[in-house]
Parts: sequence; C-alpha cells; structure tokens
Amino acid sequence: MQQRGWMAWLSLWGIVLVISLATLAPVIWVFSLSFKPPQEWLAYPPTLIPRQPTLENYIVLFWPGNPVGVVSEMVRTAEPVPRPFVNSLIVVPISTALSIVIGFLAAYGISRFGAGGNFLPFSVLTTRMFPPIAFAVPLLVYYRSLGLIDTHIGLILMYTTFTLAFSLWMIKGFIDGVPRHIEEAAILDGASRWRVMFTITLPLIRGGLAAAALFVFIMNWTEFLFALIFTSRFAVTLPVQVSRYAGAVGRYYGPQAALGILASIPVLIAGYLIQRYLVRAFTFGLVK
Amino acid sequence: MTHEAPILVRLEKVTKEFNGTIAVQDLDLEIWEGEFLCFLGPSGCGKTTTLRMIAGLERPTRGEIYLREQRITDWPPQRRNFGFMFQNYALFSHMSVYENLAFGLRIRRFPSNEIERKVQAIARVLELEPVLHVRASRLDLSTMQRVALARILVIEPQLLLLDEPLNNFRPGLREMMRAELKRWQHQFGRTMVYVTHDQEEALTLGDRIVVINAGRVEQVGTPDEIYWRPATLFVASFIGRPSMNLIPVQYQEFDHQAYVISPDLRVPIGSYRDDIIKTTSFPNLILGIRPEHLLLSDLSHPSHFVRFPAEVDLIRPLGRKQILDVKTRSGHILQMVSLGGKPIAVGERIEIAFDPQNILLFDPKTEKRIY
Repeated sequence: MQQRGWMAWLSLWGIVLVISLATLAPVIWVFSLSFKPPQEWLAYPPTLIPRQPTLENYIVLFWPGNPVGVVSEMVRTAEPVPRPFVNSLIVVPISTALSIVIGFLAAYGISRFGAGGNFLPFSVLTTRMFPPIAFAVPLLVYYRSLGLIDTHIGLILMYTTFTLAFSLWMIKGFIDGVPRHIEEAAILDGASRWRVMFTITLPLIRGGLAAAALFVFIMNWTEFLFALIFTSRFAVTLPVQVSRYAGAVGRYYGPQAALGILASIPVLIAGYLIQRYLVRAFTFGLVK
Repeated sequence: MTHEAPILVRLEKVTKEFNGTIAVQDLDLEIWEGEFLCFLGPSGCGKTTTLRMIAGLERPTRGEIYLREQRITDWPPQRRNFGFMFQNYALFSHMSVYENLAFGLRIRRFPSNEIERKVQAIARVLELEPVLHVRASRLDLSTMQRVALARILVIEPQLLLLDEPLNNFRPGLREMMRAELKRWQHQFGRTMVYVTHDQEEALTLGDRIVVINAGRVEQVGTPDEIYWRPATLFVASFIGRPSMNLIPVQYQEFDHQAYVISPDLRVPIGSYRDDIIKTTSFPNLILGIRPEHLLLSDLSHPSHFVRFPAEVDLIRPLGRKQILDVKTRSGHILQMVSLGGKPIAVGERIEIAFDPQNILLFDPKTEKRIY
C-alpha cells in the first residue's frame, strides 16, 4: 500500500466510499426518516438530518393513538407492534432451525448414499422455480380445510418447506467438501453412521451451517407474500405489519421507517454473532 | 517369516465390480499372522480396492473373506477391529491430536483414566507428547503420519492396513519415513498390509509381496522370489529398474542339444526341455535377462558364457553405475548395467557376454514363466 502512493490509496478508498454510499443510501434514508415528524416525510427539498427530530414514530408503534402528537392521531387504529414482533420471533427461528436440521439430514443422505436417486435433489428445487404466488391458491385451499390459516404452525410449515431447497443445496455443497476418508477413518475406529455424522461431519461444516442458517433466517424474516396471504390478525409477522403503515388507510412513512429499523435489529445481531463462522464457511476449501 | 505362521485373514475368490467394470477378479490370498505384506502394482490395478474390502469399506461382489477361519464378509468395518491408514491420513482436522487418539477409545467406552493412560503411552512411543493439544489441521506431514499411525495403534487392532502412506513425502524424506515404518513394525509386531505402487518400497519393506495387475494376483512371494523368480512376464517387466530385457526366441535342437535362438543369440538350455515342449505356443518363447546380468565381455569370463556383438546406442550415467542402451545386430534394443566411469562412447562396437544360467524363459501365450 505504501509504495502505491497516496493517489492510489485515495482513489481506492474513494471508490469504496462511493459504492458503500450507493448501497447504504436507502438504509440511511430510512434511518433518517424514522426520526422525522410528518411534515418532513415528503418535504421538498428533502433533508438528510431531520430539522425537528422526534421519537414519536417509534412510540406510536407500541402505543398507537395513546401519546401526544400528530402521528398518534393518524395510526390510532393500527395494531400495536409487540404482537407481530413476537410472531416473527417465534415463526422465523423455528422454521429456520427446522429447515437447517432437515436440510442437513437430507443433504447427508443425498451426498453420501445418493438417497432418492439423481432426480430428488433437483426436484426439491421446483419449489423455487415458480413464482411463489402460484402456490398461494392451492395452499390456501389446503390451509383452510386444515385450519392452518393465521396460525404460527401454518407459517412455520410453509417457511420450512420453501427454504428447504435452499438449505439442502447449500449444505450438500459443504458435505460434499468433507473428504470421505475422514468419515471412513471414524467408521473404522468403530463409530456408527450417526456418530460419524454428528461428531465428525457436523463439526467440520459448522461454518457452512451457520452461513446457510443466516441466509435462511433472512429469507424468512423478510418474507412478505405468504405472510400477507395466510395471516390476518393473530399470526401477522413484521413485514406485513410494516406494510400496514402505508396502505389503503394512508401513508404513514415515519412509523413504517421506524418499524423497518427495529425489524432489522435481530438480523444484525444474528449476523454479528455468527460472522466468525461465515468467514470460515467461505474459505472452507482453503483451510482443509 | 516362516510358512508355519497361522493365517490371520484369508480371501477366497474375491471379486469386486463397480457398475459392471471388474476392479478385482477371483483373488485368493492369505495374510499370515505378524507379517509385513505389501500389495504392489500399477495405479488402478485394484490393490486399494482389495485393501478396502479387507477393511470392510467395500463389500465384495462375490467371494468370501475369513478372519481366523471365521467368515467376516458381511461384517461392518466397525466390528472387524482393523486399523486403516489412509493415503492423506484422514485425521479429524477439527480435533486436537489427543482427541484424535481418544476417539476410538471413547467409542469403546473405556473409562477416562484408561483412555488417558493409553493415549499418553502411544504418544510417548511415537513422540507425539509435545503436540497432543495441537489441532490436527496444524500439523506438518510427518507428524500427521505419526498421529495417523498412533490413532490406529491405540485401539490395538489385529491387522493394520496402510494405503500408500508415504505418497505425500518428497523423495529424501520418503526413505527416512520408510525406515521409520519398518522400525515401528518390528516394535509393535503387528500384522501389516501395505499398499504401494513403488517397487523399491515393497522390496525393502515387505516380508512378502503380492504383485497385482489388472485386478488379478500375478505372484505372491518374498522380495527375492519376486525379483529373481518372477512368475509372469508382467512381474518380470514390472519389478527391477531398468526393467528386464525380454527377447522373443525360438526353441531348436542341434546335435541332441537344446537351444533357444534369436537372430542375435543362441543360448544353450540344458535340463528344462520337457517343460518347454509342453508349452502352448511352442516353439515360440520369450527369453528374459536382467540388465545387470549382461556384461561387457572380457577374457576372464568362462567359456560357456554366451557372447554377442552390439553397438552402444545411449549412455545414462548414474555415478557408480551406468545404464547402457545397446543395439543388437538385428536392431533389438537391450538395456544393461555396467560400472560407471568405463570409457565407452555412443556408437562404439562392443561384445556382450552373459551366463546362460541367468536367463528366464516365458510362454508368450500364458505369460507364465517356464523356467
């Protein structure tokens, strides 16, 4: 870096800065918006830093219509946020965990024993080949007769199924990367298949599992279409709730932005917690 | 190693097919208690497959495997209690050396103080104490090899199977590790089956050698037997470097004396006439002679030696020795080994002599040795 001189250094960081800004601009805008009072939401010229910063957008999420201010008047009828938040925190981790566990077991069978033949791994992908909306009508019929509409379990089943293709393929890639000889060595040492799977293979692809889990978590956490169609009151998730602040009833951009910011926090925490595994997952082939 | 050693493992007509391709065919083999047995053959000849069948990692398509006369063909590998050392060692890279060694013992439910004792003991012997708590992925190759060996020794297997364990070493280190292995085998006195494609390795390490080619056993014997009395043309040409000279010859008799002749040679053969007449391709035969048995003719050689003229075609000096490619009058290229430093030039006409006692004769059809 030193030899390249300050010009090179400057241009490198300049490029990094520009790209980062372009990527983060919407996030920054939403963050700023979440602290703006209603008259600034669509003000022209727009402001980046709110002239009269306020926490009202956040407060009304939890006590709609209760506290003082203009915004509370506007969103009086909205559902308080805790319920969708709790719903998301129930549905998303459980379906993510299920998807990863089932994905791992299935991927192991496919990778090591060719379970299901050549067509199975491919056929799993079909769940992601159609626009999701194509599944909505048949599923709606099933769900209605099974009483699964607007339930946690209904969403969990759906999210697990639709992310399974993803976790299966991702995890299969990592399992394929574990040398068979290592497993055979454990078998010759006397270990059963299950033991090999959990004490040898699983620890070796931990990073890969973490990466897959994070991606599946994000997919589920931000899933909107199915949640919108299959929930109404009881099991409403965060993305649906976010959408409700700017719908037919009005355009409450401030609270919407505030909820968006709050919704991103769990993902940020999850990502931070497993980031050390992520690095390892992506350099998996190098450190063997 | 004497023939009285009891048989530990016996393979009977073992065949392995992969999707219709035959990897190993009708293989009969005995592994004797306490011996160092080498499987030698070119890559892809089925030696590793055979080893994996003994270990139970592959199931024979046909045939049976016996352990002390008990049929174990269907036993899973876990039940056989054999140690298997893989070419790349297959250490559990996410565990420490200690955990690697303790793994098999934990499965066998040894009490923890017993595990500790056994691991420490084997670590002391193989000088692994300083690295016991290092992650296996951080070790260098030769340490990995010792860990791999320790891991299979610690469970006290009745048979050690090693699949080309020295392949990853550079040449100098290879010889050193080879010597180490031989020392360990004496030290632990266990039966070992060792797979290699390196004939030098097989000749130095093995009590007996099984030469395998294209899924079939060509010959089983001691290194000396393999080298001096090769059973087939394949063994004859595969073992020894430079490889044995093979010359097509014909059987003929003059004045009640038997000879094999080629355009360049006329070699008297005394006593084995009857065997030759029985061969399928009679009177065509193949004569084999080792390069070190071809000598630059001089007056000190006894008169019964066969002599023939040739021309030096290529000289490959090897320090103390040199390899000469010589062209006979009929244009056949033969290889011979002579002492280095002899003033010989390419193109020079020389006379070559050899003792007719040193020739081998093969049947070109069956490729078996007649004499």
